[in-house]
Amino acid sequence: MNADSTAPNPPLRGAARPVPLFSPGRVATIASGTVTQLVRMKTFYFLLAFALVVVAVGNFNLPATPAKELSMIKKVSFGTMDLFAWLFAIVATALLIPRDQEDRTLYTILSKPVRRIEYLLGKLCGVLVVVGVSLVLMYGICATMIGARESLFVSAEIEAMTANGGYSQEEIDEQVGLIRQQGLRPELGLAVLASFLKAAVVAAVTIFLSTFASSSLFTIIVSILIFLIGHAHTMASSFWLHSSDNSLFVQMLVKVVKILIPDFQLYSFSEGIIQGEVVAYALVGQMGLVTAGYLAVFLLLSLLVFVDKEF
Amino acid sequence: MSEPAVEVKNLTKVFTLGLKKEYVVAIDNLSFEVKAGEVYGLIGPNGSGKSTTMKVVLGLMAPSKGEAKVFGLDSGDIRARNEIGFLPENPYFYKHLSGAETLRFYGKLCGMRGRELENRVTELLKLVDLEGAANRRLGGYSKGMLQRIGLAQSLVQNPRLVILDEPTAGVDPIGSRHIRDLIMRLRDEGYTVFLCSHLLEQVQEVCDRVGILFQGRMRKEGRLEELIAIEDQTTLTLEGASPELLARLHQLVASEPDARIVAEGHPRTSLEHLFIQIAERSREASK
Ligand SMILES: Nc1ncnc2c1ncn2[C@@H]1O[C@H](COP(=O)(O)OP(=O)(O)OP(=O)(O)O)[C@@H](O)[C@H]1O
Ligand SMILES: [Mg+2]
Repeated sequence: MNADSTAPNPPLRGAARPVPLFSPGRVATIASGTVTQLVRMKTFYFLLAFALVVVAVGNFNLPATPAKELSMIKKVSFGTMDLFAWLFAIVATALLIPRDQEDRTLYTILSKPVRRIEYLLGKLCGVLVVVGVSLVLMYGICATMIGARESLFVSAEIEAMTANGGYSQEEIDEQVGLIRQQGLRPELGLAVLASFLKAAVVAAVTIFLSTFASSSLFTIIVSILIFLIGHAHTMASSFWLHSSDNSLFVQMLVKVVKILIPDFQLYSFSEGIIQGEVVAYALVGQMGLVTAGYLAVFLLLSLLVFVDKEF
Repeated sequence: MSEPAVEVKNLTKVFTLGLKKEYVVAIDNLSFEVKAGEVYGLIGPNGSGKSTTMKVVLGLMAPSKGEAKVFGLDSGDIRARNEIGFLPENPYFYKHLSGAETLRFYGKLCGMRGRELENRVTELLKLVDLEGAANRRLGGYSKGMLQRIGLAQSLVQNPRLVILDEPTAGVDPIGSRHIRDLIMRLRDEGYTVFLCSHLLEQVQEVCDRVGILFQGRMRKEGRLEELIAIEDQTTLTLEGASPELLARLHQLVASEPDARIVAEGHPRTSLEHLFIQIAERSREASK
């Protein structure tokens, strides 16, 4: 190599620091970047709307018993929370990854020492942090409302029954117990957890779809469809399994579909909790395990597509 | 001699379009080397495969055939990417982040933290002259500012190699002057720079060696002076020459059997030069 006439060969730079094979730090960086992005997209303004709904429902004076009224507040507010969680998980996940790709931000991220699984995990975690924080805040709003109504109803009931004079202490306690049954109980937290886990699974499904789908709209629609079909899991599979055409092919197909469409009915025990029923803790454990399984399967599938994807 | 920064050997990249058996050969049996410490420019018209070559070197795409290595590491290796800073063509970054936050984000991805990161961010913002805009969101940055923050982003982890895809595209002459000065500074600091462009004059100014790519194949490669010098011609620029002197020169040349005057006229300043001069003057005046 002949000497350069313009530059007096400067000292070359040294090699870079070693790179860890998998780094939770990089996942956390991408996750917190995603959270910042969602927050700056003014996601949390939704909470204001939610608070309004809860307050409106809570102050609705229904011609019903206190217990029924509490139950109704719970139904509406937990229903809204659940809807927010899964819909937000789908839409945010479906929009964010293709957007990175279109904006070429993905190029700059992946040209740093970042593994593709770290990117996917980071995006998923970021969306779930926002879903989780929103759920906790919404639960806080809800719990305040329910707690306030409950103590109001209880004191009104005691006052009315003692004023009437014809009731024994046991009778009063029984009535109060009925109200408390529909009031603020620690088990309600499990219903929130169920919404969260459901959102986590559906977000993983969405990530998988968005690794190969060409448009966000497609991803969103298919994810919602999978979510809805997943609620009719037992019905759908028993229909297919017991139909007359029980060829091997159909059976295989049903098996594949059963794995690819998560069984969201698993999470529906939370409706019982909201109705004040007693919880079978075994179900909660099972729900946790199945969720972990679904997340692993869908992340693995996403990685299989994403790892060889070219940009 | 140290190992080459980039080594591309018999690289072929074929794209399959749709489900039909339709192919596009974007790179066709390409081989070249970027030596450590030099500024190498890949030039070629639109669609000649410049960006594709860079993406393969970065590991964003896998080669269909052949291989690409970065400091001896396979381009798919995550360790190779720690040695590379990359500025894509028309870069976009997260619009919701400020300049400083953007640099912090990429620094963290490279495992930098704390004081070290903060110092690096300050240093880079200064280098690319964006200290004043450090806390503004990128959504409000101009094209030239984006390009500069992109350049800073690529340097964040102190890589040995910087890959720039059309670093001056869409930037005004002053901005692109600035970027070219930066590239020369990078070389002086020991960085290896691998860039591509179709703006020939700009490549000419900064590159030690160039490769001319056309339809995915290397058509010519070498040191810039050697490629463009017209060996048997000499330029003479005179100032204050009288008509008599010119007449005598003509006579003198005519008396030489092998020599002749090919061109004669008034040299012009380039439009770019003029533009920069005017801009500098008005900046002075507004001070
Ligand atoms: N993802 C892709 N799928 C199919 N064809 C592609 C893809 N990327 C690039 N090509 C094709 O490969 C060829 C080279 O493209 P490339 O982007 O590398 O050119 P370039 O030299 O960077 O051009 P420009 O100066 O316009 O940036 C083009 O014909 C292009 O159509
Ligand atoms: Mg290009």
